[in-house]
Amino acid sequence: MPLLSVKGLTKRFGGLLAVNRLDLSIEAGEILGLIGPNGAGKTTVFNVINGFYPADEGEIEFEGTSISRLKPDAICKKGIARAFQIVKPFGDMTVLDNTIVGALARTGDLKKAAREALDVLDSVGLWDKKDVLARSLTIADRKRLELARALATKPKLLLLDEVMAGLNPKEVEETVALVRKIRESGVTIFLIEHVMQAVMNLSERIVVLHHGSKIMEGRPQEVANDERVIKAYLGEEYTFARSS
Amino acid sequence: MSVAMKESIFNGLLMGGVYGFMALGLTLIFGIVKVINFAHGSFIMVGMFTGYWFWVLTHIDPYLSLLIIVPLLFLLGYQVQNVLIKPVLKSEAEVREPIGILVLTAGLWLFLDNLALLLFGPNFRTAETPYTGQMFKAGDVLISAPKLYAFLISLATTGILYILLKKTLLGKAIRATGQNRQVASLMGVDIYKIYNISFGLGVALTGVTGALLVPFYPVYPNVGFVFDIRAFMIVVLGGLGSIPGALLGGLIVGLIESVGAQFMATSWTAGLIFVIFLLVLYLRPEGMFGFKEEW
Amino acid sequence: MIAKTRDHSSGTFRNLITTQKAQKGDERGIAGNVRITSHNATPKLSLYLPALFVIVLACIPVLTKNPVFLQIMILIMWYAYLTCSWNIVGGFAGQLSFAHPAFAGLGAYVSTLLFMYCGLTPWLGMLVGGLFAVLIVITIGYPCFKLRGAYFAITSIALAEVLRIAVENTDELFGIKIGGPMGLLVPLRGHSPLYMQFTTKEHYYYVILAMMLFGLFVTHRITKSKMGYYLAAIRNDVDAALALGVNVTKYRLLAAAISAFLAALGGTFYAQFVLYIHPSGIMGQYLAFELVFIAIVGGRGTFIGPLLGAFTLVPLSELSRIYLGGGYSGVHLLVYGFLVMLVILFMPRGLSAPAENIYLALERRLRPAWALERGDTDAAAKR
Repeated sequence: MPLLSVKGLTKRFGGLLAVNRLDLSIEAGEILGLIGPNGAGKTTVFNVINGFYPADEGEIEFEGTSISRLKPDAICKKGIARAFQIVKPFGDMTVLDNTIVGALARTGDLKKAAREALDVLDSVGLWDKKDVLARSLTIADRKRLELARALATKPKLLLLDEVMAGLNPKEVEETVALVRKIRESGVTIFLIEHVMQAVMNLSERIVVLHHGSKIMEGRPQEVANDERVIKAYLGEEYTFARSS
Repeated sequence: MSVAMKESIFNGLLMGGVYGFMALGLTLIFGIVKVINFAHGSFIMVGMFTGYWFWVLTHIDPYLSLLIIVPLLFLLGYQVQNVLIKPVLKSEAEVREPIGILVLTAGLWLFLDNLALLLFGPNFRTAETPYTGQMFKAGDVLISAPKLYAFLISLATTGILYILLKKTLLGKAIRATGQNRQVASLMGVDIYKIYNISFGLGVALTGVTGALLVPFYPVYPNVGFVFDIRAFMIVVLGGLGSIPGALLGGLIVGLIESVGAQFMATSWTAGLIFVIFLLVLYLRPEGMFGFKEEW
Repeated sequence: MIAKTRDHSSGTFRNLITTQKAQKGDERGIAGNVRITSHNATPKLSLYLPALFVIVLACIPVLTKNPVFLQIMILIMWYAYLTCSWNIVGGFAGQLSFAHPAFAGLGAYVSTLLFMYCGLTPWLGMLVGGLFAVLIVITIGYPCFKLRGAYFAITSIALAEVLRIAVENTDELFGIKIGGPMGLLVPLRGHSPLYMQFTTKEHYYYVILAMMLFGLFVTHRITKSKMGYYLAAIRNDVDAALALGVNVTKYRLLAAAISAFLAALGGTFYAQFVLYIHPSGIMGQYLAFELVFIAIVGGRGTFIGPLLGAFTLVPLSELSRIYLGGGYSGVHLLVYGFLVMLVILFMPRGLSAPAENIYLALERRLRPAWALERGDTDAAAKR
C-alpha cells in the first residue's frame, strides 16, 4: 500500500483548470520529485494535499484513509508536513520558538517540545541562531527554518516546495545532503523543485506536470530524455529545431 | 405612496449621496495606501470646524470655504501620511497583519477630537448660513436645499476626482501604485510620494464633506464618530477600496436611515445599519456587490 | 541543563549530527519562554519582584485611607484588569478588538439584573455574566474570526455598537426593566460583603487587587503554555500555523472566550463599585479605546504591558477628570492619543521594552551577590 495516493485529483479556479485528473502515489521511504514549467499547477497540488484548498474531484488517501476533507491542521496531525515556497516565518518569535510551535503538534509538554526543537535545529544547522528573531534571518536561513519547523512536527511525509530556490550552489549542496539525511531518518519526501541538478540528484522517481496534467512519470534519466518533457519546458520550436 | 414616504426616500437619496462621497476619501486611502484610516471622522470634524469658523468670522458664502479647506486638508493629510504613517508603514512592511497603523490612526482620531474639545468646548454649534433651513418645493415634496447643494457638489467633486485618476499622469501613477506597489516602484514611481498625495487627496475629500455638512448639521468635537462608523460600514458594504461600491453603499445607508425612520425610532436605524453590515460581512465578506478593487 | 537533556533525548536526528556538538555543551539554554537554565539554584528575581509588588500594593490601604487616592488606585487596577483580558485577544492572538466594553457591559447588566430580580449575589451573578459573554463570543463572534486586520477591528466596533444601541433603546424586556439610556441603579445593601457592596474603599481595593492578580496570573499562564505559542504563531501567520497543526479556529475561540469571560467579571465589579450603570458609559466606545491604548502604551502582547500601561495612563485621566470635570470628560484622551502615536512611532513594544531592560540589568547585578551568599563561588567568579 502506498503511503500517499492521489486519484483523479481535479482543481479549478473559476474557469482555469489548475490540476486535471492527476494520479500519483508515493511509497513509504522514497523521494518523489514533482516538476513542470511555471504555472503547471505544482504548488496547487501541494495546497490540495495538505488541505488549503478543497479538491473539486478526486480522492487523496494517506496510509489507506481518505484525507480529502480534512483541514490543514488535521492533516498535519496525520503526519504530513510542508515547507512553503514563499517562506512564512513567525517573524516576532525566535527561531527556537518557531520550531517549538511545530514540535507542539505532537506533545503538550513545552520542555519536551523545546528539546525536540533543539534537536531539529541542530540537524538543519540553525543551532547557533536559535535565539535570533526569525524576521532577521537571511533567505537561506529562513528556508532552513521552514524545513526545521516542518520536521519538528515529526512527519511521515514531507512536502518540500522549492526549498532550494534562491540558494547559492554551496547552499543547494548542503540542502541536498540534508534532504538525504531526513529521508534516511525514515521520512518520505515529496518535493517540487526548479533546481534541476538537485531534483535529478535526489529523486528516485519524477512526475512531470504540464498545464495541470501529468505528462510523464519515471526515473530521472528517463524524464530528462523524454521528448514531451523537453517540449513542455522549452516549447515546440526548440524540439522542432533539434529534430530537423 | 404618502408624501412623507416620498420625502424620506428623496432625502435619503440626497443624504446617501453625501454619505457615499464621505466614504470616498476612506476608500481611496485604503485602495492606494492599504491603510484603514480610523481618523477619518476627525478629518470630517476638522472640515466642519474650518467651514464653521470661516462662516462665523467672514460671513462669506459657506461653499466658498472649500477654496481654503481643500488645500488645507490636503496638506494636513499629506503630512499625516508623510510624518506619522510612513515610518510605521515601512517598519511593518513584512508584518502579515499590521495593526500598528490602525492604532496610530485611532490615536490620531482621539487626539484630534479632544483637541477640538479643549479648544472649542463640548457645545453643539449651528452655523446660521443663508441656506440653513431653506427648502425647495417639488410637487408636494419638500426638499432641504443645503442637502441638495451638498449632493450636487459631491457629485461634481466625484467627477473631478474621476477625471484626475483616469486622465492625468498623476492619476495613472496613483492607480498603478494601488494595483501593485512593487511593479509601480520598479516603473520609477516614487510610491511613498504617491502615498502622501493619495492620503492628502483622501483627507481633502473628507474635508469637503465636512464643509458641505455645516449648513444643516450641528458642529461639535466628536461629531466625527457618527460619520466615522457610518463610513466604515459603507466602505465595507461596498467592498473596501471600491469607488462605485462606496457610492452605492452610501445611497443604501442613506435610504435605510431615512426610510427606516418612518417605521422606528431613529436610534434603532443606526442599529439596523450595523446589523445589515454584520450580515453582509458574514455572508459576503468581499462586500455587497463584489466589486474588486479597481485601481 | 540543555546539554544533559539533549544527550538523553531520543531525537530523530541526534545521530545525524557529527560536528558542532562538542562546544555546545555548556551553553545556557533559553528556549524563548521556556527557560531551561542552569541558574535554578540561585534565588530568582522573577519570584521576588512580583512578591514585593504584591506586598506593597496590599499595604497601601493600611498606610493611607485617603479616598481620592484609593479611588484612583482602584480604577488603575480595574483598567489593568480589563486590559489584561483585552490583551489575550488583542495582544496574544493579534486581533484588534473594540468589542470589550460590550462584554464588560454584559457582565455588569447580567449580574445587576440578577441581583435586582432574583436577589442573586453578584459574586455568582458575575459568573453568569461571564458565561453570557462567552455565549456571545461563540454565537456572534465566531464568524468574525476568519476576518483579517481592519475587517476584524471594524466588525468588533459594529458588534459592540449593536449591543449598546439595543440596550439604549430597550426600557423593558419581557417585563424586566433595563432602563434604556438612563441605565440602572444597583440596589443598595449597605455594607454587605455577601452582596459585593462595601461602604469603604479599602474593601473594593482588595477585591479589585485580587481580580487584577488573577488576570495577570491567567495571562502569565497563557504565555507559558502551548496556547501561548499557538496564539503567537496565529498572530504571525495563519497559514503557516495551520500547516504546523495549529487548530486556528479553536485557539482563537478559546482566547476570545477567556478574554470575554474575564471582561464580563470586570463589568460586574464596576457595577458594584459605582453602583450605577448606563450603556454609553460601561458599553461606550471610549472605554474600548482606553483599553487598546493602555495595552499599546504598556506593551501589546506582553504579560506586564497592561499593568505598565494602566499605571501610566489612568492617573492622567483621573486627574484630568478631577480638575476639568463635566463636559470636558474625555480630554484625557488627547494625551492618550498623543502618547499612543509616540509609542507606535518610537517604541513599538511599549513600556515593556525599557522595563524588561531594567529587569535584566537588575537580575545581572543581583545574581553574583546571591550566589556568594549561597557559597556558590563559581557563579560569582564568572562576573
